[in-house]
Amino acid sequence: MAALNDAIAALERLPAMPATSVQLISLLAGGGHDANLAEVERIIRHDEAVAAAVLRRANSAAFSLPGRIYGLSEAIRRLGARNLCRIAFESQASSYLAEAGRAYGLRRGALSQAALGGAIAADSLARTHGADPELCFVAALLRDIGKLAIDAVAGESALDALSIEGEDSGRDFLALERQAFGADHAELGAMLCARWSLPAPIVRAVAHHHAPPADHPDLVSDIVHAADCVARWAGLGVGNDGLMYPFDSGARGRLHTSRDELEALVADVLAAVAPATVRRSIPLGRTA
Amino acid sequence: MSRIPATPLRTAVPPAAPPAAPVAGTLGRVADADRVVVGVADLAVSRDATKSIITYALGSCIGVTVYDPVAKVGGMLHFMLPESSVSKEKAAANPAMFGDLGIPLLFEKVIAAGAKRERLVVCAAGGAEVLADDGHFRIGNRNRTILRKIFWKLNLLLAADDTGGQHSRTLTLRLADGSISIRAQGKETPLWPH
Repeated sequence: MAALNDAIAALERLPAMPATSVQLISLLAGGGHDANLAEVERIIRHDEAVAAAVLRRANSAAFSLPGRIYGLSEAIRRLGARNLCRIAFESQASSYLAEAGRAYGLRRGALSQAALGGAIAADSLARTHGADPELCFVAALLRDIGKLAIDAVAGESALDALSIEGEDSGRDFLALERQAFGADHAELGAMLCARWSLPAPIVRAVAHHHAPPADHPDLVSDIVHAADCVARWAGLGVGNDGLMYPFDSGARGRLHTSRDELEALVADVLAAVAPATVRRSIPLGRTA
Repeated sequence: MSRIPATPLRTAVPPAAPPAAPVAGTLGRVADADRVVVGVADLAVSRDATKSIITYALGSCIGVTVYDPVAKVGGMLHFMLPESSVSKEKAAANPAMFGDLGIPLLFEKVIAAGAKRERLVVCAAGGAEVLADDGHFRIGNRNRTILRKIFWKLNLLLAADDTGGQHSRTLTLRLADGSISIRAQGKETPLWPH
């Protein structure tokens, strides 16, 4: 119980998620049908860094929008809800996650890269399964945010010891976290998302991203779970917890996704989050 | 990203300065400046004896190292998926993503950099499996299979390997002496020489 209190107290001590990301995510997740352009613009205009990122992105080659865009409202309208979520996250929340995962032995930036990789996978799976892509994208982005709380409570090499125990016993890593800290990173992440008043489907998907509920299955949780597996197969965010999480056969059955489809998605995800890696290998080939 | 400046493949003679890497067989932390980091779906080849080639957090992916102890040329591949047939387009953009293309490419690169095939010491690590995989995906297992299949085809034998399980591994090849170590579950152990 003391360990659980420590983990929850660690949540209290975490710096607040940058307001712009949380406000935008709350407004736009769920399709953003109720989002009013003026409201979105008000939030973004309030934050110079995000506003600059939005304009920069609207004018970048990646979006190939015709003509130069100078106005924020035009940029917002033309980029659309999903891209705004992504830009806000990349410019704010990725720095929030960049230092996270130390207890898991992850290098700086590894967890934010894994967050983005899972989000891209979730977005793609949502499109093929008729789910809301924005909601799945954001839920997958935030799925490991509870690792920040584990970072705060786990002593040095505590998770290495859990990894050895997991391998010996065949237990999944969440069970080992609960045994050591009273709560696992999925539960702690869901608590954090609830404190930020994020939409309920996001809180639920974060809570279940390693174990989608069998009794009341929901598509967003299934997709975020599969996206997490895809990111892990792409080698993203693999720390001392290794691969000690199962791929739920119930979710797999409900999604009807073939091995080849998921493997193609693994390749897409890696190419999207690590383009520098891909580019760098080519000159090596040419030099020889 | 603190990726390496593209030093890996040098056809010039290695620098005359004495190697800064540890003595043969010893383990220890490698300074940042002496690291050539291989990312996921990436490969690097080098003949700079002051460097170590390192890849972090191999899960189901496999890291393959090759080293010629005479020419002191070495290389490392970190591949992610067994077969390139799942995505022809990605395979064309980055063959290092796939075992079936990446492994032959690694050999091609080290030989082009001056290594002799008959002297190569080849090791591998990674290929871990998702917990309780009921046999449907088994990417780690299939990565291990493609590794052995290609080595069989190339008529090469692995000098040492550390694969399977569920944990992640960090693999380091020191170019000064070809020693290879693995860091896993908080412990660093030599893989080669044994």
